Amino acid sequence: MDQNRLNRELRRKIVEMIYRSKEGHIPSSFSIVDIIQYLYAHVLRFDPKRPKWDERDYFILSKGHGGAALYVVLHKFGFLTDAEMLSYSLKGSILGGHPDATKVPGAEASTGSLGHGFPTSAGVALGLKIQGKPNRVYALLGDGECNEGTIWETALVASKQSLGNLTAIIDFNGSAAQILPVDPLADKWRSFGWDVQEIDGHSEEEMKAAFATPITGKPKAIIAHTIKGKGVSFIEGHGKWHHKIPNTEELDLIFKELA
Amino acid sequence: MKKLRQEFADTMLEVGLADPRLVVMVGDISHGILQPYAKACPGRYFNVGICEPTIVNMAAGIAKTGLIPVVHTIAPFIIERAYEQIKLDFGYQQLGLNLISVGSAFDYAQLGCSHHCYTDISLMSHFKKAHIFFPGSPVELNVLFKKVYNNGCINYFRLPEKPHEVVFSPEEITVNKAIKVLEGEDLTIVAIGPQLRTALDAAQLLKNRDIFAEVLYYPVIKPFDAETVLRSVMKTRKVLVIEEASAHDGLFNSVLRTVKQVSGVEYSQIAVEDFIHQYGTYEELCEDLGFSAQGILQAVKRDFSFESPLKKMVSLGSLA
Repeated sequence: MDQNRLNRELRRKIVEMIYRSKEGHIPSSFSIVDIIQYLYAHVLRFDPKRPKWDERDYFILSKGHGGAALYVVLHKFGFLTDAEMLSYSLKGSILGGHPDATKVPGAEASTGSLGHGFPTSAGVALGLKIQGKPNRVYALLGDGECNEGTIWETALVASKQSLGNLTAIIDFNGSAAQILPVDPLADKWRSFGWDVQEIDGHSEEEMKAAFATPITGKPKAIIAHTIKGKGVSFIEGHGKWHHKIPNTEELDLIFKELA
Repeated sequence: MKKLRQEFADTMLEVGLADPRLVVMVGDISHGILQPYAKACPGRYFNVGICEPTIVNMAAGIAKTGLIPVVHTIAPFIIERAYEQIKLDFGYQQLGLNLISVGSAFDYAQLGCSHHCYTDISLMSHFKKAHIFFPGSPVELNVLFKKVYNNGCINYFRLPEKPHEVVFSPEEITVNKAIKVLEGEDLTIVAIGPQLRTALDAAQLLKNRDIFAEVLYYPVIKPFDAETVLRSVMKTRKVLVIEEASAHDGLFNSVLRTVKQVSGVEYSQIAVEDFIHQYGTYEELCEDLGFSAQGILQAVKRDFSFESPLKKMVSLGSLA
């Protein structure tokens, strides 16, 4: 696939959802949609007809405000219907601004409050390890979320408990640098006892290499260098677009770039 | 009488041997006494570290894999510090959890306010699927834990440092019923935890003054047994609640909501109004805060009127 055209359809769907409902985080979702799509297409074991299948791998979106990116991927892979997508954030819908595990098939944890999904992921990994099960657990964190203390508490515990079945993917789009920088991020994870790889989080080639590395006894951190708003030139970066809803003129411009 | 914390360790061993789903996680307390459980149930005991929010949050992940987590540490660090984790990861997501605290209220009197926790009962009462237990003797903990630990709810067990020393049989202890420890007709005293002993001592002093108190003991605070207190208050029209907990939104609130339908009731509450700023022994703080037989007598004198028979009015004049 042409790298420049990567997942444009998914990005268009994200914008459609958010424009229609007037709620959502477009740049945060664009930052991670390539990673989530790669995981579902090439890494995770799952069955959309049986979301609680015992042999599934677990994906937990710890940065829950990127929920729209998860929804479009769950829709693509058969967990969500067209009608459910159209109902996003409406009264009675199962889809809201943050994923809700009590409602959304395929959402393994209710996230939104930063610093919750990752420790939950470590708990799932520990529970699977206690029971000798081979399932894998993947958590997607924001770099801004890495300001939360529970991230580093969990990094310590997962290392001590040798949770080799746990992979943390950090969406390193530079959000933290706006306020409380987390650099050098790879060194931090390494010093907490994790295997660390750094990749371009919009490159299928680099994701392929990173997720193909063998499992060791250590938990793995993949630092995914990403661009917030990736895919639409005037949304990329930090600033007013974080929680902004496009007007009709901006919508046209976005769709032209994503054509 | 055996300490509640030792009974906790013994009960974990008993239940852990019977149920391979039980997983015990602690925040670096009770490590020594839990070794029999740890040895008998290898791979299901974790002294996770001093990171209470993460422990609670990880317990949610463990629950998602079909196991039954037990999280144990000191009350302020588990209930107050990790409250958002309890709220979102268990309350909202409706996962099963057993929380076992020590050091609630001012049990750790000499350690000061950082180790006090008055709000736990109030905070935990906000979840529809939460159960709140305050077992004041070992048999209560053992019986109640075994009844509920796998019910898929949030079960909060608040273990007091000192048992109340009143002996109950296992048959007397149920999840849905308070225990009428003393029958009386003039006044209802509702007690929790170690204050059962105080209530019984006060009842004896009141009896000497010809006032017969009915003492109701609530080892289960939620679900609240409304019927028992309602029956009693319809008879006595006077109710005093003594609770080692915040005065705001605890057991007294449950009693008020229950008894509001009965006209002409007089109320009194002995509880913790605000931070306790001083040190001392547990007994000394109890004395200061009114958690004593004399404290109950003073509250009775202050808040209740005994219009007949006449001799009670005379007796009350000499109270305390």
